[in-house]
Amino acid sequence: MQCKDVELVLEHEGLEPLPEEARAHLAECRECRNYIADLTSLVDAAKKLPAEITPPDRVWIALRAQLEEEGIIKVPAEVLPVEQSSWWQSINAFFSNRVLATAMVGILIAAAAVFQIRSDRTAPVVSPDRVAGTGTSIPAAKTAGAELAELSVPQTSGEFDRTARDLSEQEPVATGMIVASRSPIDASLRDNLKKVNEFIAECERHLKEQPQDELTREYLSAAYQQKAELLSAMIERGRSIN
Amino acid sequence: MSTAVSSPNRVNATQSPKSATEAEAIRLAQAGDAASFEHLYQLHSRRVYALCLRMVGNPPDAEDLMQEAFLQLFRKIGTFRGESAFSTWLHRMTVNVVLMRLRKKTLPAASLEETTEPDEETGGPRKDIGAPDLRLSGAVDRVNLERSIEKLPPGYRTVFVLHDVQGFEHNEIAGIMGCSVGNSKSQLHKARTRLRELLQEDLRDQARTERHAAKTQAGLGD
Repeated sequence: MQCKDVELVLEHEGLEPLPEEARAHLAECRECRNYIADLTSLVDAAKKLPAEITPPDRVWIALRAQLEEEGIIKVPAEVLPVEQSSWWQSINAFFSNRVLATAMVGILIAAAAVFQIRSDRTAPVVSPDRVAGTGTSIPAAKTAGAELAELSVPQTSGEFDRTARDLSEQEPVATGMIVASRSPIDASLRDNLKKVNEFIAECERHLKEQPQDELTREYLSAAYQQKAELLSAMIERGRSIN
Repeated sequence: MSTAVSSPNRVNATQSPKSATEAEAIRLAQAGDAASFEHLYQLHSRRVYALCLRMVGNPPDAEDLMQEAFLQLFRKIGTFRGESAFSTWLHRMTVNVVLMRLRKKTLPAASLEETTEPDEETGGPRKDIGAPDLRLSGAVDRVNLERSIEKLPPGYRTVFVLHDVQGFEHNEIAGIMGCSVGNSKSQLHKARTRLRELLQEDLRDQARTERHAAKTQAGLGD
């Protein structure tokens, strides 16, 4: 057997087991011995590479959204009480989308923050008498009105305004980073952002109509949280792509 | 981007003890059951993602391709009759999706195969006399190997990753690639040979760089 015959054996049979003739050739041919030793080292090293790598969760989220959109996954229709108002139905429909439901973990955190904001607001209500007693020139009735306005119109409070402003500033940056991408994941992110923005607008509209609605305030806070996560994911994707 | 890397898994997915639950999940998914789709995805996504990542070399593309592969699979799951293993079917779709993308993307329009030139005198393998011995030098570390795998032509890369990294047998690879068992064996051998050459080139480059650095250092010392 010659070197070329060994090559043919390797091509047709692989590294193991080598036939007797090939082994006899190897005993005499240092080059073929080194060649096979190298290939064996390669195969050994390849076997140590991880055969499984966990993908990011967003792949399943985007895939699931696509499967639902195409009707491949059948989502059971939720039975809603007849007396529910239209805005509540739309919120339910919104959260029945599993894409966004996966972000509900964030809602729990955000809800805790909202409760904290609420308790902070209710605690420091200052009585008009006390303000007058400090010698300030602000009329007591006006101060109380301002306090009341702060409490009763939460969508203009500093927390929501600042969050909304920060997110609005980040939005063009984040969307711009994936604007040219045709990836289904990026399309899904854009689609989700659109839905969240619509939901935020709906919450804000509802809060204008019913400023005291704490549940809507919580949903709004959660929606901001989701928007922040989506923008963050877009920026991360954009950085990876670019 | 963070991706968790699990320990090597040489178990053939088609022989997994979860086969029974997989069959049930397939049946339920065919009826549109959401949880079963997710179950199937969780069973296979790590291997499919590893394959995609090694084929394209970057996570965003690997994510897109994996999503596309699963999407195609789930669109056609109603037609799955179990003639081949589900894993083989999924990997065949994945390989098709990946190779299709690479064909579109590869600017030099390189062939999926690449001929390994035989030694002119002997007709045997190119042995690069004087080339470093990979086994002795310990050059085949993970980083070097991953980098060299990326440089393989797509067809070689696919067979090498499926066989030597993911542990598929040649008959399974033949099913996945739509080729004969003999062709799979031949492609694998050529892939290994080409990898050896790439690693040797790496070693030569490293040695050259080290010599250059040593000369520069000596020059500074004078």
